[in-house]
Amino acid sequence: MKSTRALKATGLVLIAVVLGLLTVQGSYALWNKAAIAAAGTIQAADFRISLTDTITSVVTDMTLADGTAATLSLSTTPAGVVIPGQSTYAGVELGNETNAGGLFTVRASTSTPVVDNNAGSPLAPYLTLKVVAANSLPQCSSAALYEDASETAETDIPKQDTGVFCFQVSLADNMPASLSGQSATVAIPITVNQL
Amino acid sequence: MNKMAKGAIATGVGVILLVGGGGTLATWNQASNVSMGEVVSGDLNLEPGAGVWTNAAGTEIPVISQYKVVPGDALTYTQPLNVSLKGDLMAAKLTVALPDSYAQYAEYGTVSATTLTKAGSAEVLPEILKPANAGKVNASTTFTFNVDTPDRIGTNASADLGEISYKLEQQAPASTLQP
Repeated sequence: MKSTRALKATGLVLIAVVLGLLTVQGSYALWNKAAIAAAGTIQAADFRISLTDTITSVVTDMTLADGTAATLSLSTTPAGVVIPGQSTYAGVELGNETNAGGLFTVRASTSTPVVDNNAGSPLAPYLTLKVVAANSLPQCSSAALYEDASETAETDIPKQDTGVFCFQVSLADNMPASLSGQSATVAIPITVNQL
Repeated sequence: MNKMAKGAIATGVGVILLVGGGGTLATWNQASNVSMGEVVSGDLNLEPGAGVWTNAAGTEIPVISQYKVVPGDALTYTQPLNVSLKGDLMAAKLTVALPDSYAQYAEYGTVSATTLTKAGSAEVLPEILKPANAGKVNASTTFTFNVDTPDRIGTNASADLGEISYKLEQQAPASTLQP
């Protein structure tokens, strides 16, 4: 009887020891240490290009608040009508107004001008247009600037800097006198891409 | 008192007398104390320093929340860590856990795996660190703003990168892993 009791007691003690060890598993863990770092918040920059008319100095954002592309009506110089064989000039200044933290150069490019006749006007075929990148708006009215110009141009604009596109619109000297007083619309799409 | 009792008493007295003689019963013996020396434990510790952001040009960014990131930019967060590892059989693994919130910025950018380098050098540390690898360590994670982000997608957006956790865990000495 005594030996049976002793065996039972021994078994109970063993079970208690095993259960105890399993319960305090932490005692088997190896050393470890953790550290936390707050990386913070990353903020994306704005992509904003301003357009300024050469003559009137009217400024508009290239992208409107609703996300659509802006249209800027340019004034020409000299003002008034164009005589066949002569030219009129316009220009637009593009400003890279981004708040980017690092480098942010953009490339502005013009597409082929689209000359449309206004209602009832067959003037368009007699208009030619040249585009050239310049350093400043006052250069736009200089005919020499357009000697090697074509219908398209491009310019790179660094962060917080400006670029200029100058336009020369010429009326063919063989324009029939019957077209006097007619008008046409010239549209020049401008695209700006991040480099 | 019977004869048996008298005999037992006489025998007991005799034995006591013999015991009283002490050394006469003992074989040769000698005792001495041996010093086992001190057992000194090692150390494992991880102390973070002040993290630093740099942009794609390698320029340090003092305040990340005031920096405006653009497509193509790559912002690297470098976390200095002072790693202490002492022990003849010490080995530890340094792991980096990025918060789950990183997944929501996949539209705008990618987050690299974290690389561990010895401070002041480009030496990439092994997965399991030994005391020889201890000291100042840099853990670098790079957030790249997708260069092919079209139109004006993501302009003025912000991304809270939350908390990055670093954990240094001791690896059991090989001898204790043997069956």
